[in-house]
Amino acid sequence: MGLLSSTPGRSDALPDTRAELSPTQRMLRLAWSRTSFKVGFFVFATLLLLALVYPEVSGVDPTKMNYRARLMPPIFFGEWTWAFPLGTDQLGRDVFTRCLVGLRYSVLIGGTTVILMFVVGCGLGLVSGFKGGWTDTVIMRLTDAQLSIPMIILAIAILGVSRPTVPAIILVLGLSGWPLYARVARSVTLSERGKEYVRGERVLGASDWRIMLLFVAPAVLPPIAFVAVLDVARMMIFESILGFLGLGVQPPTPTFGNIIADGRKYLINAWWIATMPGLFLLVTLTSLNLMGAALEAARNRVLKGSA
Amino acid sequence: MFVLGFLARRLVQGIVIIFLVSFLIFTLLRVVPGDPARLIVGGMAPDEVVVQKAEELGLNDPIPVQYVRYLGGLLQGDLGNSFIRPKSGASFGGSAYDDPTRGERAAVLDLILDHLPLTLQLAALAIVFCLIISLPLGIAGGLNPGRWQDRLAFFSGSLFVSVPNFWLGIVLTLFFSVQLGWLPAIGYKGFIYTVLPALVLAIEIAPFVIRTLTVSLAQVMQEEFIAIAPIRGLPAWRTVTAHALRNASVPVMNLFGIQLGTLLGGVLVVEYIFDYPGLGLLTINAVLQRDFPLIQGIAICISAIFVLINIVVDLAATAVDPRLEY
Repeated sequence: MGLLSSTPGRSDALPDTRAELSPTQRMLRLAWSRTSFKVGFFVFATLLLLALVYPEVSGVDPTKMNYRARLMPPIFFGEWTWAFPLGTDQLGRDVFTRCLVGLRYSVLIGGTTVILMFVVGCGLGLVSGFKGGWTDTVIMRLTDAQLSIPMIILAIAILGVSRPTVPAIILVLGLSGWPLYARVARSVTLSERGKEYVRGERVLGASDWRIMLLFVAPAVLPPIAFVAVLDVARMMIFESILGFLGLGVQPPTPTFGNIIADGRKYLINAWWIATMPGLFLLVTLTSLNLMGAALEAARNRVLKGSA
Repeated sequence: MFVLGFLARRLVQGIVIIFLVSFLIFTLLRVVPGDPARLIVGGMAPDEVVVQKAEELGLNDPIPVQYVRYLGGLLQGDLGNSFIRPKSGASFGGSAYDDPTRGERAAVLDLILDHLPLTLQLAALAIVFCLIISLPLGIAGGLNPGRWQDRLAFFSGSLFVSVPNFWLGIVLTLFFSVQLGWLPAIGYKGFIYTVLPALVLAIEIAPFVIRTLTVSLAQVMQEEFIAIAPIRGLPAWRTVTAHALRNASVPVMNLFGIQLGTLLGGVLVVEYIFDYPGLGLLTINAVLQRDFPLIQGIAICISAIFVLINIVVDLAATAVDPRLEY
C-alpha cells in the first residue's frame, strides 16, 4: 500500500529526464488502470484493516475457550449466528477472529521475509554486477550453491529442532529466496554499469559506493520491487505450510497453518474448522497475487517499451 | 557428435553440482542444532551411551575428515547405512535405548530405490493432470490476447497460485473421500491412491504453465511467419498446431526444468498429508529423525535427478526447435 505514496519523491534520482513521468510512475499508473489490480487492492486492504482492528474492537479473545459455544457452524449452515461468522472450533473459539490474528502473523512474516530477501539479494547482486571480477565470481557461486539446496529440507532441519520463533522463521524463509533477487539485480546492474551517467559520475570523482547507492540502485531496484509483491504471497504460503507441519509459530498463537492442522482432526464432524481458514487465506493470497501479477505485467510492458 | 559433446559437458557440470550439494548438505547438517547420537539411543539413555554411540558413528571427527570418508564410500556407490531405520523397514526413535528389536541398519541406497518409484509415479500423473488443466486455458488465452479467454487464464493462474497445497489436499479428501466416497485418501494400496495427491500437485504447478504458455503463445502469434501462413494456404488450426504451439512449447519445457524445486517442495507436503509412502515422506521423516546418511543420500539423489531432467529438457527443446544451440 505504501508503494503509491512513497515513490514520487524518489523519481528525481532517476536518469531518464526526457519523459514526463518516471518509469516507476508509469508502471504504477498502468497497473492501477487494470481492474484486477483495483479489486485485489481493495480486498487486501479491507482484510488487513479488519485484521488490525476487529480483534481489538470486538473484544473476542482468539484463545478464549467457550464450552457453551463449541462447534458452531459458519453462517448459513445449520444453527448459525452472526456472532461467529466462520463458526467456532472444538473449544468454542471464534474461527473468524483466529483467522484475523493468523493473518497478522502471516503478513508480518511474509512481508519481513521479502524485505530481508530483497535487501540481502539486491545488495549482493548490485555489488556483484558493479564490481565484477572475483567479487562477482564468489557471490555468484554462492547463489548457485544456495539455489541447489531444496529450501524445504533446510527449513524442516533447522526449525524441527529448536522451538520456532518468529525471527527464526523469517531467517529460514529469507535464506531460501535471496539468490533469485541477487541474479536479477546483478543482470540489470551489468547493463546499467556502462551507461553514460555512470561514467560521468566517475569523471566527476564519485566513489563506486556513491555511484551504486545514489544513482544505480534507484534506477534498477524499483522494477524488482514490483515482482516482490508476488513473493510476499509465496512466503505467506510457506509460512502456513511450516505452521501446518508444526514448525511455525507455536500454539496457542493462532496461525493459518496450525488452525488447519488442528481442525483436520475434526474434519468429519466439523468440516469448517479446517476449511474456512484455508478459504480465508485463499482469498487473501488471491487478492495479493492479482495485485502482484498486474504490477509485473505493467513492469514488463514499460521496460519493453522503453528499451 | 554435437550431441555427444553436449552430453559430456553437461554431465561434467552435473557432477560438479552434485559434489557441491553433497558438501553443503553435509556441512549444514552438522552445523544445525540437534545431536543424532542422542536421538538414536533415545532421550532416556545415559550420557556415556551417547558418547559411545557418537564415537562408533565417527561423529567426533572433524567435519572434513568425516566428509572425505563419506566421499570415499560415495565413489564406490555406497551411500552408507541409515542411522535409525533397520532392514525390516520400520523405524525406531523412541526413548528406550536398549531396544533389542533393532537389527542391522538398512542401506540408504535400498531405502531410496524402494521409495523412488512411487514418487515418480506421483510426479508423472501430476504432470498429466497439470497439462489437462493448463493446456486449454493457456492456448485459449494465448490465441486471444486481451479478450475474455486471456483474462480467464490470467485469473485462474492467480487463483491457483494462491491455493495452499495442504489445504487443497484436505478439501479434496473431504469432498471425494468423505462425502462422495469415490477415491481413497490415505496411504497406498494401489494406483488409485495416487489420484488425489497428483491432483493437488497438478494444481500447484498449473499456474506457471498457464502463464508461460499464454505469454509465449501470444508472442509467437505476432511473428511474421504466422501472419503469412494463410497465404501459404495453411488452415488456421494447422498454423496453430504446427507452428505456434511448437514454438511456444520450448519456454514451457524450460519451465519444467526451473520449477522442479517447486514440484519437489510440493511432493514433500503432499506425501505428508496423504501419508503416501514415497521419497517425500521418507525425506520428512529422515530430517525430523536427524538421519544424516539418509538425508545426504536423498539430497544427492535429488540433485542427480535435477541434473538429468535439465539435460533431457534441453535435448527435447533442441529437438523441437533446431535453431537453439546446446
